[in-house]
Amino acid sequence: MKKRGMWTIGMVGLVGALAMLLGACGQGAGKSEVDVVHYFSDTLGKTTVTSIFDAFTKKTGIKVVDNTTGHEDFKTQILVMLAADNPPDAFSYWAGARVQFVVDSGRLQPIDDLYKKDNLDTLLPPAIAAGTVYNGHKYLIPFGYHYAALFYNSKTMQKLGLTQPPKTWNDFLAMCDKIKAAGIAPIAVGSKNRWPAQFWFDYLLLRTAGPEYRAKLMAGQAKYSDPEVANVMKMWKGLWDKGYFVPNANAYDWTDAADQVANGKAAMTLMGTWITGYWNGNKLQPGTDYDFFPFPQIKDGVPNVALGPIDGWVMSKNAKHAASTLKLLSFLLDKGSQAPWAVGQGALAPNKTVDPSIYNSVMKKASEEVGASEAFNFNYDLATTPPMAEGGLTMFAEFMNNPSKSMDYLTETDKVEQSVFKK
Amino acid sequence: MSRRLWTVAFLSVPLLAYTTIVIVPLVTSFYYSLTDWNGFSAQYHWVGFANFARIASDPLFANAIKNTAIWMAAAIVVPTAAGLALALVLHRGVRGAKLFKSLFYLPICLALAVVGQVWIWIYRPDWGLLDLVLRDIGFSNVAIAWLADSTTALGAIILAWSWQQTGLAMVIFLAGLTAVSRELTEAAEIDGASYGQSLRRVVIPLLSPATVVVVALSILNSLKSFDAVYVMTKGGPFHSSDTLAMFMYDVSFESYYMGYGSAISVVLFLVAMIVITFYFRQVRALEHLHE
Repeated sequence: MKKRGMWTIGMVGLVGALAMLLGACGQGAGKSEVDVVHYFSDTLGKTTVTSIFDAFTKKTGIKVVDNTTGHEDFKTQILVMLAADNPPDAFSYWAGARVQFVVDSGRLQPIDDLYKKDNLDTLLPPAIAAGTVYNGHKYLIPFGYHYAALFYNSKTMQKLGLTQPPKTWNDFLAMCDKIKAAGIAPIAVGSKNRWPAQFWFDYLLLRTAGPEYRAKLMAGQAKYSDPEVANVMKMWKGLWDKGYFVPNANAYDWTDAADQVANGKAAMTLMGTWITGYWNGNKLQPGTDYDFFPFPQIKDGVPNVALGPIDGWVMSKNAKHAASTLKLLSFLLDKGSQAPWAVGQGALAPNKTVDPSIYNSVMKKASEEVGASEAFNFNYDLATTPPMAEGGLTMFAEFMNNPSKSMDYLTETDKVEQSVFKK
Repeated sequence: MSRRLWTVAFLSVPLLAYTTIVIVPLVTSFYYSLTDWNGFSAQYHWVGFANFARIASDPLFANAIKNTAIWMAAAIVVPTAAGLALALVLHRGVRGAKLFKSLFYLPICLALAVVGQVWIWIYRPDWGLLDLVLRDIGFSNVAIAWLADSTTALGAIILAWSWQQTGLAMVIFLAGLTAVSRELTEAAEIDGASYGQSLRRVVIPLLSPATVVVVALSILNSLKSFDAVYVMTKGGPFHSSDTLAMFMYDVSFESYYMGYGSAISVVLFLVAMIVITFYFRQVRALEHLHE
């Protein structure tokens, strides 16, 4: 009896181990399904995206298998899946240098045919459509995008009589002076995770040196020690020296900065439209409690460029369920998917046939601002290649800590650039 | 079936798991450390020992090694000293000793990520407990951003980590103290030894097995301290709190230099091997002592 018991336990163990191995290999054996991984794993994002997947299943009978874990895990999860040659059929990714990196690594499937067949280009404004092309081919389905601008506390501004958005740089400086004189910090930055500081660098560079020069810098064809970049650091430092920024920026997260604006400790923060989702969640009213103005023009003759990230979907090369995946991608660009996504996520819908009445007043204005811009550029960490972005983001955080050495930081960043773009 | 076959059958399951989860990744890391793989690409090139040459000239790597060494040194001193002090006090029978034992041990039950989050709040410059206390006791204008200042970040994380580690050290020392025979300390007292003398000459030497365990565990845990760094500063500001593990993660998963990251992990592996070898040697020496 004892021996038989041992036999059973041993067999159960072995069978279990085998089943686990087989399970890992056999996933996706069914035909009418699509395996996806994405980084929309916060409660709201997950609920909304799941409801969109459910609608897709209802319409097509194709099951969507969502293998998502957490937002932070996503970056490693996707690497591990690709390295093991077991990629999901489709996954979410950040348009710009990140998608370019995966395209250059030969891991993505071009979807030109899908764009042609379903006439998808007619759905996208040209500025956004530009972010779908890599090495001359279509690779990305834009799902939602955000716009970075100066978001402010409406009540603070009203109290100080600042009712007109600043049109020029001098208007902006005068505005900051007035806020500071009232004992309020003009600008909050929460750069603990480094990236929130990048929008200052981006917009100052775009508004002074222009998008063409910026594109060169992002591609490693210009130097960080160039006078154009040095000038940006000088202007940025000017704001710092005048005490416009809340001290200890690196101690705070972007949500802390949002809180500082919301509770009146600071007047504004340069952030993406996702801040509206955060504030709405904290029961702030768009328009009456908060609003935004675009980053002011600095130099005449420089094109007016909007800045922000685009979230999109890409298809793996050798996707196991190619036909179903293409159907899903097309479905995700449909206005029936993009409208609930934009509302649920506090994002802007890339599909221009989405009815603007779904937006609140602030998001509607944001959508109009982007529409009126001459181009849409990706923010720094999505505009330059990941290892370069690492070096640059560290520089921005160093700057927020001690801007007096900003020129040294540029020489250091030059070295990073040389090592990143040497090939 | 023969007994031997049974042994093989039963051992094969954990061995299979161990091979897939530990051995295979270990060997592939060694392999990738000799390539320029970016983590995504199906193609990569053999670069020989170029990644190791880069390690030798990378100031950020030197910085991570320095910080890891500081952490290890602190791991030897801080939790050991604090744990010993607590154990000695509690062993003498303070009122409420049981409650205190549980309280001091409690942090060990928390995940390091949770400990990190709690200390993030303590270290905040606006409403953080530490700065609030400093302001209350007279430093009225203090608003130190402990985790955002490159001079204090590493120390602040080590302190938070030691806070957790101390509980473990205390419990091990308490167990060690119960093994110290009363007769020996009483004999010392009768011979006129002060408390300090009996501590130095009798108790602490007899605690040496416990001390070896505490020190070795602290050093090993310090190598596993990635969670605390990741949660509290991600190695920042500007790499000032990078440890080897954090730096490796940063290089591999943020910059996508997977080959270089693998080379760093090989170095980390060697450091861990040295520590583990030292640990087993000490343990073996102690076993000898007991015999």
